[in-house]
Amino acid sequence: MDNSGKEKEAIQLMADADKKVKSSGSFLGGMFGGNHKVEEACEMYARAANMFKMAKNWSAAGNAFCQAARLHMQLQNKHDSATSYVDAGNAFKKADPHEAIKCLNAAIDIYTDMGRFTIAAKHHITIAEVYESELVDIEKAIAHYEQAADYYKGEESNSSANKCLLKVASYSAQLEQYPKAIEIYEQVGTNTMDNPLLKYSAKEYFFKASLCHFIVDELNAKIAIEKYEEMFPAFSDSRECKLMKKLLEAHEEQNAEAFTEAVKEFDSISRLDQWHTTMLLRIKKTIQGDEGDLK
Amino acid sequence: MSSDFEAYEQDFGTLTAEITNKIGRIPKLAGEEKTQLVLNVDKQLEEVRELLEQMDLEVREIPIQSRAMYNSRLKSYKQEMEKLEKDFKRSRIAYSDEVRNELLGDDASSSENQRAHLLDNTERLERSSRRLEAGYQIAVETEQVGQEILANLNSDREKIQRSRERLRETDANLGKSSRILTGMLRRIIQNRVLVFILGAIILLTIVLAIYFNLRGH
Repeated sequence: MDNSGKEKEAIQLMADADKKVKSSGSFLGGMFGGNHKVEEACEMYARAANMFKMAKNWSAAGNAFCQAARLHMQLQNKHDSATSYVDAGNAFKKADPHEAIKCLNAAIDIYTDMGRFTIAAKHHITIAEVYESELVDIEKAIAHYEQAADYYKGEESNSSANKCLLKVASYSAQLEQYPKAIEIYEQVGTNTMDNPLLKYSAKEYFFKASLCHFIVDELNAKIAIEKYEEMFPAFSDSRECKLMKKLLEAHEEQNAEAFTEAVKEFDSISRLDQWHTTMLLRIKKTIQGDEGDLK
Repeated sequence: MSSDFEAYEQDFGTLTAEITNKIGRIPKLAGEEKTQLVLNVDKQLEEVRELLEQMDLEVREIPIQSRAMYNSRLKSYKQEMEKLEKDFKRSRIAYSDEVRNELLGDDASSSENQRAHLLDNTERLERSSRRLEAGYQIAVETEQVGQEILANLNSDREKIQRSRERLRETDANLGKSSRILTGMLRRIIQNRVLVFILGAIILLTIVLAIYFNLRGH
């Protein structure tokens, strides 16, 4: 393949562009065609970056895009600069996550400056995903998801905001920040209750909220479930509500077997996913922990 | 004469006994034997009818005093024969338990059959309940898939609404920009016209100045 050829070409282009930029820095160049030269240099950087992408040299491509973005800023082309930063971020995603996050952050700054919050929110989500998957820094991921949700709320895109909020809640619950998770789930649940399209998912949210309540304190869970049943009658018919009631009973009697029975029964009909299993395991540990204390 | 009658009576008695016996056996048999027996009984019934006729003739020849007794006996014999005929007809179409048993299995092993039946039923019930459970699972899965689809649809709806808004905005902006451009064009034309007019005036002034100079000489 002529990828290596492309790479050489790309390196050549970069060198040319560098020279152009330097030459435009001198006085004469600035007077006569400085801007023109800088624009040309920008374009050359972009082409070089594309060639690096073809050659799969991601970090070089990212660098080239960053250079282009800086030049665009010089020329006060905010839009172009932001798009170049985003391209740089995408290229770095495959090579160096930290650099990617830096570039994406720069892009987000420009977008929020221009008032384009929707796009900024989208990029926050991208950053959060990078933290989720490659850097595994859940706290920062939560922070970015929250920001994204706020921006979405500001732009009245409630469905996207809900999506981000849900992720925030599930990660917070995993990190044992239960009050936050409970609040978010309740909020989302009440919002979706009325929407005819989403009301069938509302019971799922109430179930999660009651699970979180349960981990904190059993009495809370009981009160919460009653509250939800009042607000949302369909919840009481759902299998999830019945499961919660059984679990509450089992917990009261400190009966770990009944607990496991009920959970198994529910699982046999519809599999419990990872998050639910973790939460239920924590609750079960509290039962067995209590038994240990009594002994 | 009456001895004839009594002989006829005895014959009648034996024949009817035989017929009853055979009628009893008919339902239990089938196929060849049955048809044979049926023909037999038919023949015997014919004989009985002839006997009755002869008894009738005999009775008519008897003097009237004793006729009453023979008459009543004759009547009872006739009734018996009718009953036999009816029984015969019924027997030809009657089912017998034994034939059923032969078809459906021995009498001796009926209790085992019942056990096998019960086990079969239990298995069938279990199978159906398993299938119901599977069906329920699928229904629940379908519901979950439906939920996701609905959520997606909702978000798509919002996206479409937003795009429509932006499109309308863009349209309005484009209209504005086209107006501005036409305004610019007009102004450019105005400027050019002005420049020409001014240029013309200057030229005129220069020409006039040269003219006056030359005249001044």
